[in-house]
Amino acid sequence: MESGHIIEIRGLTKKFGTFTAVDHISFEVGKGEIFGFLGANGAGKTTAMKILCGLSKPTSGEGKVAGFSINGEQEKIKRHIGYMSQKFSLYADLKVWENIRLFGGIYGLKRKVIAERTDAIIQSLGMQDWKDSLVGSIPQGWKQKLAFSIAMIHEPQIVFLDEPTGGVDPETRRKFWEMIYEASDRGITIFVTTHYMDEAEYCDRVSIMVDGQIVAVDSPKVLKEKYAAENMDVVFRTLARGSIRQ
Amino acid sequence: MVWIYLLEKEFKQFFRDPGLPKMLISFPLMMVLVFPFAVSMEVRNINLVVVDNSCSVTSERLIDKCVKSGYFRLVEKSSTPERAQYLMDINKADAILTISSDLEKQLAFGESLPVGIKVNTINGSKGSIAAGYLSNCISSFVAAENSGERLSAGNHIEVSTKFYYNKYMDYKVFMVPALIVIAITMITGFFPALNIVNEKEKGTIEQINVTPIRRSTFILCKLIPYWAVAFFILSSCLFIAWIVFGYTCAGSIFTLFVFTGLHIMVTAGLGLLISNYSDNAQQAMFMTWFFMMVFMLISGIFTPIASMPAWAQAITYLNPLRYYADAMRFVYLKGSTFFEVWYDALGLFLIGVAMMSWAILSYRKQE
Amino acid sequence: MKEFFKLVGKEFRHIFRDRRTMLIVLVMPVVQIVLFGFAISTDIHQARVDIVGDIQDFQVRKIAERIDNSQYFDVVSEYRSVTSVDDRFRKGKADVAICFEQDFSKKLETENTALIRIIGDGSEPNSAQMIANYAMGIIHEGTRELTPTVEYVYNPMMKSSYNFVPGVMGLILMLICSMMTAISIVREKEKGTMELLLVSPVRPLWIIVSKALPYMTLSAVNLVTILLLSRYVMSVPIRGSLLLIALVSLVFILTSLALGLLISTIASTQRVAMLISGMGLMMPTMIFSGIIFPCESMPVVLQYLSDIIPAKWYIILIKKIMIEGVGMTYIVKELSILLFMVFVLFWTSIKLFRTRL
Repeated sequence: MESGHIIEIRGLTKKFGTFTAVDHISFEVGKGEIFGFLGANGAGKTTAMKILCGLSKPTSGEGKVAGFSINGEQEKIKRHIGYMSQKFSLYADLKVWENIRLFGGIYGLKRKVIAERTDAIIQSLGMQDWKDSLVGSIPQGWKQKLAFSIAMIHEPQIVFLDEPTGGVDPETRRKFWEMIYEASDRGITIFVTTHYMDEAEYCDRVSIMVDGQIVAVDSPKVLKEKYAAENMDVVFRTLARGSIRQ
Repeated sequence: MVWIYLLEKEFKQFFRDPGLPKMLISFPLMMVLVFPFAVSMEVRNINLVVVDNSCSVTSERLIDKCVKSGYFRLVEKSSTPERAQYLMDINKADAILTISSDLEKQLAFGESLPVGIKVNTINGSKGSIAAGYLSNCISSFVAAENSGERLSAGNHIEVSTKFYYNKYMDYKVFMVPALIVIAITMITGFFPALNIVNEKEKGTIEQINVTPIRRSTFILCKLIPYWAVAFFILSSCLFIAWIVFGYTCAGSIFTLFVFTGLHIMVTAGLGLLISNYSDNAQQAMFMTWFFMMVFMLISGIFTPIASMPAWAQAITYLNPLRYYADAMRFVYLKGSTFFEVWYDALGLFLIGVAMMSWAILSYRKQE
Repeated sequence: MKEFFKLVGKEFRHIFRDRRTMLIVLVMPVVQIVLFGFAISTDIHQARVDIVGDIQDFQVRKIAERIDNSQYFDVVSEYRSVTSVDDRFRKGKADVAICFEQDFSKKLETENTALIRIIGDGSEPNSAQMIANYAMGIIHEGTRELTPTVEYVYNPMMKSSYNFVPGVMGLILMLICSMMTAISIVREKEKGTMELLLVSPVRPLWIIVSKALPYMTLSAVNLVTILLLSRYVMSVPIRGSLLLIALVSLVFILTSLALGLLISTIASTQRVAMLISGMGLMMPTMIFSGIIFPCESMPVVLQYLSDIIPAKWYIILIKKIMIEGVGMTYIVKELSILLFMVFVLFWTSIKLFRTRL
């Protein structure tokens, strides 16, 4: 693996019967980068992301995530990544500290380490008052921050965020992005899908998927210049115009 | 070591659930205390209407004998057959006993019996049992009336009956092991299925899938609390049956636990299959309901397998409940040993293996 | 009104898109009818008999042959010792043992009397009793006894289908209208889409109606399926008027919908809704419907309990109309009870619905 690239994908294809959801995509993501993975609904984002997370096998193509092959080394990949999905997915009927403890335990952390990290997470999020509350009873914005912290409890090299800011207010979204930057500063690679185009501007680099193919990969600045657009929304609409799946 | 955290999670969620723990206490109680009374095939309290055209001492005695048998409830003595039929039409009467005016004369000379029975047979088995009781009463009445004269020449075979295992022919004790079977199947098969589907719907299962944890560990940890519950229910049902009704297990309780263990393997597979093939709780529940109904009806729990037509009997061999219910009844009621009902163990084992493999295969396919 | 039709369209699409549920819902009545119609019976045939005694004995052999020739019995084994009976029962190899005393023929000749003991497997009381009765009848065969004449009313062929078709109708309608409606409303509540609907210009009542309509359609389809199957496959007569059946069914469907609505207002999650409808509705309906267990034999307390279950009344109504063929005047009582239930249930659930949401 080339130095600096934590994700490297070549010719990745996923077919469901005759339908090609992901069609020969290739890209790489550098260490510590915030990589935006953009595309309309049905463009194949989620399918591609599932393969990268080791949830599903590619039909063809190869690639490495965190140094492990996406063909056959899925279980090893899973140890080195964190994941937070668009649906909020902590256990609502467990308390805040219990959720942290559960996922710490699942990633095989030692009891002492779990205790330390629990304190650290609660401290840094300022959730002391909610430590013993059921997750179902705390506000949505806090849940998301907590879920993000928990996704990084085992200090993964990459965190996959699947539309993490769906359905929250702009203020909470801004704070959430602050957390993403902090994580990135610590050297964690962030792979984020979103369809808020203003968020795309916050990414170091973005890829845009249309109908299962990647039509552009570059930094938002370069893309805007290339398509002579004032913002990413225009870039995206220009590229997605030819879509047949829409 | 991971499984400790998962188990902790499942148990916490279990006890935090607003309904489940309460249900667990009430379920065995209801099963053993109420259901044996409700789930009974005994026919009692048959509403009887009498049209007594004889109005004699003998007819009075006959009616008295029928009422005293304990199966009947005398609704009224109607004056006309039309009135009696009307009572049957409005569901007030299940059986009509008509006594002709020449009852005493006929009894004395004994040509034919001038007594007629009419029963409502919309519910066929109930009707025929009612008719049976009634004609038994009448026959024994006639026999008693004639006992002096009727010792005719010829051979006389005296038949007595005796019933093993259940001297007083108590139907409730027959249902106790069967109710345990139903409770265990529901709790170890369908509740975990609903639980898994619930995590699917909430999206939490996806979160678990991206962790390095093995799916088999995850599922196993989900099943274990229900298994604990199953054994708890088995024990408490046995205990309640003993305290309240005085029923005890004729065989070894250990054998009951062994069969329950075997059955749990089957229901685990079944639960997994249901959760694999359903995307939401509604679907899971429908499948559960559907299978549970089919399984129960052709398990021999309520109606004997031997009474089914051949094709239905053949299907019962694929029904895990058949083996489990059979074994539980044999051990509990007759005291059969494990080796005396080895075929049930084999049946359960084979179905368990088949279901588990199918469940695992269909699980893999989903990716 | 236009919004209302749009809503109805949405609900229909929701249901029809879910192929698996559709399949089960449509196949369920067929399977139930077949199962109840053919598989569920308590008749005795080919019960396995052990002859205990001296099979060489002429009289014993004669009786054993008579038993074997009967359609009810099948002699599977003969041996000498009564102590083996227990063993055979425990292994499930015999259902009944008929024991003859020593020197059976000789005793019958010299003393004019001889003993037979029938040992039944009391672990299955009903079958054991029936088997013993049949066996006694066969042994006594030939001896003349006075018996009363028996007439079977309404169902002279003693078909069990006469009893279970109304029961299945009650069960299915209950399942679809109450359970499915309750769950689909609670699901919208859980997902938060209910609020979305409630702020729309459509009035809450119409939202509920739009949810109920597809299920009503499904139940109508099932009702027709069941009636056709029972008429042409099971040959259960429909003696009363179809119009009356439809009317009564409509009232029952409304009752079930109201129950479903009530459950949906009480339950906060789908799981709770399912538990309530499963434990509180389906189980009692199964047990008190009289399909398998005769209601009248239960303790009085349970009988009173069964009175508050709407399905019980519906099943009685259907039995009366379909099989007894009686008219309106005979069903006034049950119908008014059902109507009263509809009224009370709707009133409470709408009240609760308003306050909760």
